[in-house]
Amino acid sequence: MSFRTKVFLIFLITVLASVSLVAYGVTYYTQRAFEQMDAARTDALVNQFKKEFAQRGETVVQQVENITNADVTVRMVLDLARPNADSSLYLHDANGAAQTHNLDFVEFVNSDGALISSAQYPARVGYKVDWVTSNKIWDSSGAFLKREELPDGVALSLTAVRTATVGEKVVYIIGGRRLDQNFLASLVLPTGMRALLYRNLESSFVPTSLTDTAGPIPQADQFQSLIEQIQKQSQPEMIVKTMQWTNDPASAETFHAMPLTGRHNELLGVLLLGSPQRELVQLRRQILRTAGLVALAAICIGLLLSFWVSKRITQPVEELANGARDVASGRWDTHIDVQGSDEVGQLAEAFNNMTFTLASQKEKLVQTERVAAWRELARRLAHELRNPLFPLQITVENLQRARQLAPAQFQEVFNEATATLKAELANLNSIVGRFSDFSKMPAPHFTRVNVNDALRNAVRLFEPQFTAVGKPAITTEYFLNEALREIDADPDLLHRAFQNLVLNALDALPAGGTLTLRTSEREDTVRIEVSDTGKGLTPEECARLFTPYYTTKQLGTGLGLAIVQSVVADHLGTISVSSEEGRGTTFRIDLPKRHDGVVPKPKPEAKPGVTESERATAASD
Amino acid sequence: MRFTKLLWLAAISAALLALLPYYATPAPATKRPRYGGTLRVELSATTISLDPRNWKPGSVASATNEKLAALIYDRLVTLDDYGRFQPALATEWTHDAAAKNWQFKLRPGVKFSDGTPLSPKEVVAALQPLLPAGMQIVTFENGVQIRAARPAPDLLEQLASGRYFVYRILPDNSYAGTGPFVLVEPALPAISEANPSAVKPAHLKFRAREDAWSARAFLDAIAVTAGDPPLRQLLNIQVGRADIIDIPPDLVRKARQENLRVWSSFPDTLLALRLDNAPPGTADPRFREALDFSLDRDTMANVLLQRQALPALALLPQWLSGYAFLLGSSMNLEQAKALHAKLPASSVGGSEPVRLRVDAVGDLMKLLGERVAVNARQANISVQIVPHSAPSSANSNAAAIGLHLFAWHYDSLSPRVELQTLAQHLYSESGGESESIEEPLNPEKLFAQEQRLLEERQILPLLLLPEYIGIASNVRNWSVEPSGAWRLADVWLEPPESTASNPENATERTTAPGVHP
Repeated sequence: MSFRTKVFLIFLITVLASVSLVAYGVTYYTQRAFEQMDAARTDALVNQFKKEFAQRGETVVQQVENITNADVTVRMVLDLARPNADSSLYLHDANGAAQTHNLDFVEFVNSDGALISSAQYPARVGYKVDWVTSNKIWDSSGAFLKREELPDGVALSLTAVRTATVGEKVVYIIGGRRLDQNFLASLVLPTGMRALLYRNLESSFVPTSLTDTAGPIPQADQFQSLIEQIQKQSQPEMIVKTMQWTNDPASAETFHAMPLTGRHNELLGVLLLGSPQRELVQLRRQILRTAGLVALAAICIGLLLSFWVSKRITQPVEELANGARDVASGRWDTHIDVQGSDEVGQLAEAFNNMTFTLASQKEKLVQTERVAAWRELARRLAHELRNPLFPLQITVENLQRARQLAPAQFQEVFNEATATLKAELANLNSIVGRFSDFSKMPAPHFTRVNVNDALRNAVRLFEPQFTAVGKPAITTEYFLNEALREIDADPDLLHRAFQNLVLNALDALPAGGTLTLRTSEREDTVRIEVSDTGKGLTPEECARLFTPYYTTKQLGTGLGLAIVQSVVADHLGTISVSSEEGRGTTFRIDLPKRHDGVVPKPKPEAKPGVTESERATAASD
Repeated sequence: MRFTKLLWLAAISAALLALLPYYATPAPATKRPRYGGTLRVELSATTISLDPRNWKPGSVASATNEKLAALIYDRLVTLDDYGRFQPALATEWTHDAAAKNWQFKLRPGVKFSDGTPLSPKEVVAALQPLLPAGMQIVTFENGVQIRAARPAPDLLEQLASGRYFVYRILPDNSYAGTGPFVLVEPALPAISEANPSAVKPAHLKFRAREDAWSARAFLDAIAVTAGDPPLRQLLNIQVGRADIIDIPPDLVRKARQENLRVWSSFPDTLLALRLDNAPPGTADPRFREALDFSLDRDTMANVLLQRQALPALALLPQWLSGYAFLLGSSMNLEQAKALHAKLPASSVGGSEPVRLRVDAVGDLMKLLGERVAVNARQANISVQIVPHSAPSSANSNAAAIGLHLFAWHYDSLSPRVELQTLAQHLYSESGGESESIEEPLNPEKLFAQEQRLLEERQILPLLLLPEYIGIASNVRNWSVEPSGAWRLADVWLEPPESTASNPENATERTTAPGVHP
């Protein structure tokens, strides 16, 4: 991943995170504010309902008091106060009072608790209504909820009790309004809100007991858990629950479930005030939509900004990288043009200074090395050439001195001298030829090469020397990976390199030993290892081993391993050496398997051996 | 002094003013009958049938039909207020020693309203479909002969009551009789599809026959309005738009409080509970006994019906059987609870309420049904009231009806016939087998038979209701036959101005000492 991409992503993530955080915060706090407003509105409505409920109770109390104070009631009490009064005369009076005073339930109860008249359940006349006689202070009490027994079931009523007294005669007047859908319909609720009433008159949840203003509601079962939750409370308290009717969250309704309790705190009903969440959900959606649009716009702007900023930041760095790459490729005089005085500008200036210094130092180094090389070459040439020149000089001086000898003797000396001259001149020619060959290392021509075969061929050239008479024996061991696939290489150069390595090993084994050859395969390369069990090299020798003309041998030219390194480098491979003094040396060559544009060519015929000149060249290294 | 004179003057003036109405009141109206006028009768019944063949025995509707039929039809014999049989269309009658063959000599010169002379053949055609199985009527010289397979010592009681009218069906499907009145409006009554003999008019008008064999009625006509609700009838009679109305028991007290002249009969209607065998639990004798013991008949009669009914402890009323006071069981809630506790918990009336259908119509009947449910609940018996329209069949989807609250009107003056008819109705409705009551039946056997029926508790009597009639102050000579038929031919109307101080403006009670013990 490029630096620019990283910077771009960092900026982008930063922008996204910031926008998301802001959008979430705005949405969250706005929504919460609206929810608090909605809750406050609903609380106000609940309080309003409580007041209205209390007002209804006061109305019922007033209506019952009106019945109590009515002339017909007073006459009834007067009549009942007489001895042996016939209470059956008033069987239908409660019904008349209920109709007159617009109450659903009216009952007259005698002082002994016997029901005199009942508007809602006349069949119960004569039975005792003990709960009403157990309380003596009805006239100051308010309305309360009551479970009302009816011929066709039970009902919930808002009831008040008053007493009509004449002398010692007391008649209890019980009046009430039915709490049903009509009661719900009479409640004044804001638009959208609805009120449901559950009459808790059975021991278990009864769906038909849950009504709205139109009667039992169709989805009553969904309220079962809420109702049962209230039923389980020892002290019934209001519960707030949100219900979602469809998959659309806008269909949700928040219900405030208010327990309605009787005189003894028994749960007689549950009033559910439903507040629709549609407006809140729509508002929430609008906020989310707006936040999304803003976030999208911010992201787009952030994208562009990030791109521009990352480009602005990374462009000088990229120029620096390009400059460094140019330097790496050898263009030491690379100069980058970076404006500004910030850290990147300072870095660019330092880079330019560095390249300038490197270029100047390189020039000096090259000149120094060139001088050194020339000196070394001169020294080697002088050394190489001095060796044959000294015999030439001796031979010529012997030949001059031989002029004074007898012709026969002179002829003998002459022949010997000319032979020596020829040999030394050939030697000179060979030395010059080797230097000439090194200077003319050809460019590799790649084809598919079997590394194992190339290695065996190189070793085969020297096999006679491994077992030469009078010399210590050298044992060869092969650890070749036969599954090794062919690689792209120049077979001649590869052969030459292997030949030099084997020859180098032979030189390291004057007292005999073991030559080990090993091949292995890596992911993209093959590895060739040539090891000997010779005396080994010192670290300093290892460091300079591939320097041209450097040799540790008495008669070496210092070109063998330089040629090996040159061949390996031309194959884009690497060569390394590891050695332990007294235990031997190992050369490792890693060659790439493939080179671009190489097509396999027919396998060249196996060479029977190397030419004499090549052998001579290799042996002399 | 002057002030004292003024005080005296004022006192004397006040005394004179107080006496003025007394002396200003006209002399009491004459007791001599007065011809003319139309008697306006309002009835609660919504359907009237003038064909005795279609009257359902024991139904309250048949009692109304009988009253109207008595205006246009006659019986062979009647019963007077002293319980003596009097000639009607039959002037003489004899029977053999076994009371199996009865011969009736017809009154000569009697004509139907269409002019057809009364003949034995007409009598046979009218009565043969009405007589019970085992009885055959044939012509006999100038009379008819009734042959019974079994002794029928109470044949005269039967013929003097119930549906045993002599009538004639005319070719235009109207009815003709020999009675003092003839139906003039509608001349051709609308025929109901469900009951071809049922007439559903809002108004019926009867005209007095000038050629009636029993002499011309004092009234010129009788206008009958059917189907008016009781409260409207009460209002109509108070404002002078009606002369005779029928009053349900729960309005009697109100009518009396408003100074209406109310006549009441002896108890002629039985309100009772019938137990079906369809829900298995209701056949359990313990359940029936528990339910019987839970019923508070006294409160029903004295409170719910405000003393306008009597607790019924027997199937037949005391005036009909003479032994009713020996029968029945009183309320015993503890025993009812104990009996119900012995029933399985899953039995009907326990976890499963027993369904009570109020077969008789009216708010009063519904109230009584609810009272039964309340009473039963005190004994831990759960009773559920179902609408009148609920099917009683056990093979319907709903649970079978276990209890029926029904009304039974006593049609016959023969206790044997009445008990047998009631038993037949009971068994046919309950799905049991009808049991014939042996003839002749002496009072002891009749008592034993009724006692056995009561002990089976297939039927639980609740209340006995009299008939209450509101009579306008201008109606004179109101009387009722022992069979319950109104003697409207003897009624005459007083002019309105002479009725204000008439001593007849008081509650009346018909007495029939000869018949009712």
